[in-house]
Amino acid sequence: MEAKGSKPVMVIGGGIAGLQAAIDLGDMGIKVHLIESKPSIGGRMAQLDKTFPTNDCSICILSPKMAECYRHPNITLHTYSEIKEVSGKMGDFSVKVLKKARFVKEKECIGCGDCAAKCPVRVLDEFDMELRRRGAVYLYFLQALPMVMTIDRDNCLYLTRGVCRICEKVCTRQAIDFEQKDTEIDLDVGGIIVATGFDPFNPIGLSEYGYKRYRNVVTALEYERLICASGPTGGHLLRPSDRKPAEKIAFIQCVGSRDVKNNSYCSAVCCMHVTKEAILAREHDPKTQSYVFYMDMRAVGKGFQRYITRGEEEYRIKYIRGRVAKITEDLEGNPIIWYEKTIGPTTEKMKVDLAVLATSFVPRRGTEELAKILGVELDEYGFFKTEPYAPFNSTREGIFVCGCCREPVDIPDSVAQASGAAAKAAEIVTGGYS
Amino acid sequence: MEEEVKTFKNLQREVVDRGLCGKCGGCYSFCSAGELNALEIGENDLPRYSDEEKCLKCGICYLICPQINVLNNDLKARFGWEPPIGSYQSISSARTKDPNVMKVCTDGGVVTSLLLYLLDHDLIEGAIVSKKRGPFAREPTIAFTRDDIIAAAGSQYTESFHLEELGGKYSTYSTVLPQVKSLERKYLRNIAVVGTPCQINTIRKMQCLGVLPAHLIEYTIGLFCVENFSFDDLARERLEKRLNIDLADIQRLNIKDDFIVTLSNEITIHIPLEEIDMVARPACLTCSDFANEYADISVGGLGSLDGYTTTVVRTNKGANLFRDVLQGGYIDEVEYRNTDERKIDKTKMLAKIVSFSTRKRSRAEKRLRELSRS
Repeated sequence: MEAKGSKPVMVIGGGIAGLQAAIDLGDMGIKVHLIESKPSIGGRMAQLDKTFPTNDCSICILSPKMAECYRHPNITLHTYSEIKEVSGKMGDFSVKVLKKARFVKEKECIGCGDCAAKCPVRVLDEFDMELRRRGAVYLYFLQALPMVMTIDRDNCLYLTRGVCRICEKVCTRQAIDFEQKDTEIDLDVGGIIVATGFDPFNPIGLSEYGYKRYRNVVTALEYERLICASGPTGGHLLRPSDRKPAEKIAFIQCVGSRDVKNNSYCSAVCCMHVTKEAILAREHDPKTQSYVFYMDMRAVGKGFQRYITRGEEEYRIKYIRGRVAKITEDLEGNPIIWYEKTIGPTTEKMKVDLAVLATSFVPRRGTEELAKILGVELDEYGFFKTEPYAPFNSTREGIFVCGCCREPVDIPDSVAQASGAAAKAAEIVTGGYS
Repeated sequence: MEEEVKTFKNLQREVVDRGLCGKCGGCYSFCSAGELNALEIGENDLPRYSDEEKCLKCGICYLICPQINVLNNDLKARFGWEPPIGSYQSISSARTKDPNVMKVCTDGGVVTSLLLYLLDHDLIEGAIVSKKRGPFAREPTIAFTRDDIIAAAGSQYTESFHLEELGGKYSTYSTVLPQVKSLERKYLRNIAVVGTPCQINTIRKMQCLGVLPAHLIEYTIGLFCVENFSFDDLARERLEKRLNIDLADIQRLNIKDDFIVTLSNEITIHIPLEEIDMVARPACLTCSDFANEYADISVGGLGSLDGYTTTVVRTNKGANLFRDVLQGGYIDEVEYRNTDERKIDKTKMLAKIVSFSTRKRSRAEKRLRELSRS
């Protein structure tokens, strides 16, 4: 099916929101160019272990969507690519896209990993939240699509120092191509959907929590990798310092959120993902005891309140209303949580095996630059600016936004917004809009 | 036309065949840890091709060799190297506070204490140290437990900071470093290495390139080093002749201002260092690093009272470690009666290290000039 004569739509960002928007448009018969800056589509959802409130395996839900997008006759994927320039107007945008060289021939590479196995370089892996190391030639993650290797030009010894070329020598398909150059492609599109997602807030500035100073203080996204079967510990919840199982875990809510010094907004999903993370810990090991230190539990969504109740009743999560003043560390590397309860006059402390910081959602690095290129405005927090009654319209006609780049939202909301934004973009390119 | 990458063939020609190989094991460690398996350690502990067909001509073994200068400027920049003894933050004389360590260490026991601290605090999973097999033979080993470390201390460090400085033929970590890769698993793990300047040099060069297995090495503790001896039969004969003793009688080797040999009958012989050069390994004569200039912390007996270790704290990582180990009560510094005494002693220590460093550097320059002429 193809909507006759319609211009394509460009979707920026290949996470769950971008994938959904692209699939919706593609299914309407509209051509889509999906631009992803990373070597693979998948986005943040690919990094999660499970999703709430169903405890579904995140990648198991995401992978079919990635595959659908990858194979869709109306969708053209541009991974490892960045937007350089946008001109024109609604219905008729010209876009320059920089397609970065992978130094791997996408048509030849089958993702077998022979090159990665022999690459002698070791650098911290971004996808696994730097809890593991990888080679300079690597697969972005196990279920990556396209399933092809990428050479990291900043660390490859041939590209930086002119030696090595081991990957080229061991590749049986001659898929390594050091001659590859970055290329610029021009796209003509009728509408643009921005779905660039979020970064987790870096809590290093909140020195009271001791992040990076105490090894057993991790962020929630790091925790997701630790408990994920394809993560650096093979899914065993082992704390970083001594790889001993974490049996007593403190989750600290609103780290950087609802905090006038950092991000005054609520990040919307932490109450839920922390409940999920505590449930998962108990599912891994029934001995596990989790404590959630919170200001307010916000369970705004279908089945969410019930999920929290289940957490309390079936998984014995203890929710403690109060702020954590600081975290210290004892001689065995155990985090000590110092907190004040809203009920009761005293400050208390608790020794745990692992402390998890539920860090707020902030706009992806590079959002400001992208907004400039797109000619759209950002709100006071750096998310894309939208109006309450036109929630997917950016400040420029023909450019729509959805998912966590407009506000922190959970997966169901991201998907709903993506479909909404796709519908708005379709109006333009199918000529119904005037 | 692309420039040919220099490979182990060049390393053989430029280093091994000219007798300049220090047997640090860097090339072999890299090649086997990378599972390229083209190299092995052959006779006399020298690296050689095990299977030349397997060599992928990556050129990395060439770059990481301590005798090859390509990466020297990178290293200097990375560590803020400056003459005459490299970058450092402080120098002190320290010793262990642990009675168990003290029992087995006739020296200050600082290395052992540093390693115990790192292990106790889960900062490392293990440490590569060398164990003594006999007066002139060493065997590398990975110490995983307190007991392992103290055992290594007992045999190695007792007589041995000083022995390390002067050598004794020890094999290096070379047979161990490749195995370290098995520690890599998937999760981040770290180890510490105690080594001579050439060993630390090759590790730092690997780290400069970001290659395995050096990525697992979180802490480097460097030993001061004048030279190592090559104890083949000929050298042994020469040394015995010069000293007029039987090497088997040697109880202890030491170095303060000269080379001190203590025999089993407690007789002590002093020999000027210049005379000892005659039996030094050729590789050592071209090495310009006495004070282990790229380690996190360098240690040796030079400049300290008996029972203390001279400790040069170099990198920020080293400084943090030294501070924590002091605060943790693992070691203490020598006590001074007043600040003047402290100042004078530190100046003296520094002066000794500078003088040994300068001597080694000029010896290396001279030797290299001779080599380039011949």
